[in-house]
Amino acid sequence: MSHFTAFLGRRLAGALLTFLTLIAVTFVVYWSIPATPAGFLYPFAAHLTNYQLQHGNHLLGLDRPKLDQYGDYLWHLLHGDFGGSWRGGQIVDNDHLLLAPIGPQLFAATRESLSIILGGALLVLVLALPLGAFAGRRIGSAADRLISTATLVGICTHPMVLGLILATTLGVEQSGVIDNGYCPLRRGPKDTCGGLGPWTSHLILPWITFALLFLALYVRMVRASVADTLHEDYVRTARAKGAGELRVMRHHVLPSAGLRVLTMVGMEVGTALGVCIYIEAAFGFQGLGRLAVTVMGGAADQIDLPFTLAVVTIITVIVLVGNLVVDVLYAVLDPRAARETSRGRDKPLVGGVF
Amino acid sequence: MVALAALAVVILLSLFGGAVATRALGHDGQRPFPYATRGETLRPVGPWTRVPATDQVIVDEYGNVLPPKHAKRTLFVFGSDGPLGRDELIRLLDGGRTSLEVGIGAVLFALLVAIPVGCAAGYYRGAVDAVVSRFTETIMAFPLLLFLVFTTAKLGPTLSQVNYSWLLPKGVFTDAVLIGLFTSFYPTRLIRAQLLTLRNAEFVDSAHMIGASDWRILRRHLLPHLVPTLLVWGAIAVATNILLEVSLSFIGVGVEPSVPTWGSMLATIWGTIYSPKLQNPVWWQTILPTTGILITVVSLNQLSEGIRRAIEPWSRR
Repeated sequence: MSHFTAFLGRRLAGALLTFLTLIAVTFVVYWSIPATPAGFLYPFAAHLTNYQLQHGNHLLGLDRPKLDQYGDYLWHLLHGDFGGSWRGGQIVDNDHLLLAPIGPQLFAATRESLSIILGGALLVLVLALPLGAFAGRRIGSAADRLISTATLVGICTHPMVLGLILATTLGVEQSGVIDNGYCPLRRGPKDTCGGLGPWTSHLILPWITFALLFLALYVRMVRASVADTLHEDYVRTARAKGAGELRVMRHHVLPSAGLRVLTMVGMEVGTALGVCIYIEAAFGFQGLGRLAVTVMGGAADQIDLPFTLAVVTIITVIVLVGNLVVDVLYAVLDPRAARETSRGRDKPLVGGVF
Repeated sequence: MVALAALAVVILLSLFGGAVATRALGHDGQRPFPYATRGETLRPVGPWTRVPATDQVIVDEYGNVLPPKHAKRTLFVFGSDGPLGRDELIRLLDGGRTSLEVGIGAVLFALLVAIPVGCAAGYYRGAVDAVVSRFTETIMAFPLLLFLVFTTAKLGPTLSQVNYSWLLPKGVFTDAVLIGLFTSFYPTRLIRAQLLTLRNAEFVDSAHMIGASDWRILRRHLLPHLVPTLLVWGAIAVATNILLEVSLSFIGVGVEPSVPTWGSMLATIWGTIYSPKLQNPVWWQTILPTTGILITVVSLNQLSEGIRRAIEPWSRR
């Protein structure tokens, strides 16, 4: 167990370090880009006077030492406070600011994206394991080639195109069954719909889009793993003892493929968030991916620092928690992993697509 | 074999197809043909249509479009591309060239960054290695697309000043450099990992012993060992870069909209993420670029597999 505790400690420390670095990088990048953040507070001024510039920077807290700003941000974050968005900030009585809090918008967006990713990932697993096992048992056959090529079509059709094709052919206007936009699981006071049924019906097309995209990677992975393990001694032993094919696959071959898939799921959380940008756009969601692009993209000439920091924070936390959960699960399922470093467990090649 | 042939066809078509088709058909991919659209909605004409070769539309006093006076016609093999009425075939061929330019250029740029950094980390180890490893891990944890969106928005105007007529259209250099920069972390880690094991090999020790310098050992004894690995990575990376370029087009930060790439062709039909188009567009305009991408990606994928199988004959996959 001490191995395991040390492993967990190392992982947690690494994750924390990564998080602090990314926040610091965001700050540094922001400071290195010329900007007049006071412009957010005086949206109607064509030219800012010196007083306006100084007063604006003072109200936004930008005249303090840089290390203070960094520490202050982390301190507020520790209390669950993401701060307020600079955009649309109003000066009250000329001495304090009224900013719209970022938290609610951010959490709503995160909920939508995570719904897509978690459901989609489940669908990928349900489809990839049987398909990959089927192909892995007959490598080089016509069926194997067909499966490999068909899944590649899913990657080459961009998720945006795929999503829009699904939305226009099966979406609400065509069938009247499947709706666009997000529908929360528990209906809040402002929501127009809610509940498990509507939630699923609104998410089924995004899940399919997500699954079709990732299927190629996972089918390939399961296929390779199955092809490798089929020739292991313990599989031959199991066969010699009279185990049926189904039992051999379920108990001896697929578990090791499952381990590899699990690793990849953990590594791919960031990629999945990138893909969500398109799926959200195609189905009219207001998720984290779209929010991130709007905040970090070039549409605005001025960068809204608190909002950018909040987006970076939430994405990093999701990615790191994903990696951590997988690492821990992996260490529990395969205790050798806890003793080794993360050798040979790099991000898979094709994963860099998005 | 089939894959190699397909790849050769794609590359040849992309390199010369656009120019040849322009010469043969007598119009290029930028020239708009008003008569290549139909009706109020400006729906593009279908494949294999002969279109009046004129820039002017003749309308009567009620605004009805009349047939042109000089009925000299030009052939649109794959129809036209949208409301502007440009030739889809030539845009497809030119788009293939720009897409491949982005894909291959980005790989070259990534190698330019990755080889020195990876060698420094893997050969000298120590503090350099620690910094490089932590840094690449940190960056790779974050969605690649957001980096690209952010940097293209900020650096795009500066970098897109590098262009050269039709050979290097505006924005292609930007895409190649930025995609290359942010995908260079993977080959960096590959090189580092391989050098860490290679540098303890006996042939490195003996080279040291006869007095070879670090530079010579790296260049003559270690780098040749990296070539197969980098080829396997490079073939796949060209494919993923082409897909990344499509993604950038959908966010609206890729090449200029008038420049045809497979990504920008798809983005003109389906809209960007800010304004996705939910009407049913013409089917062949989605099929054509997607087929181009599919053939290229599948054959590059097979090529990479083939190289890997040649250097690792013991692998069963």
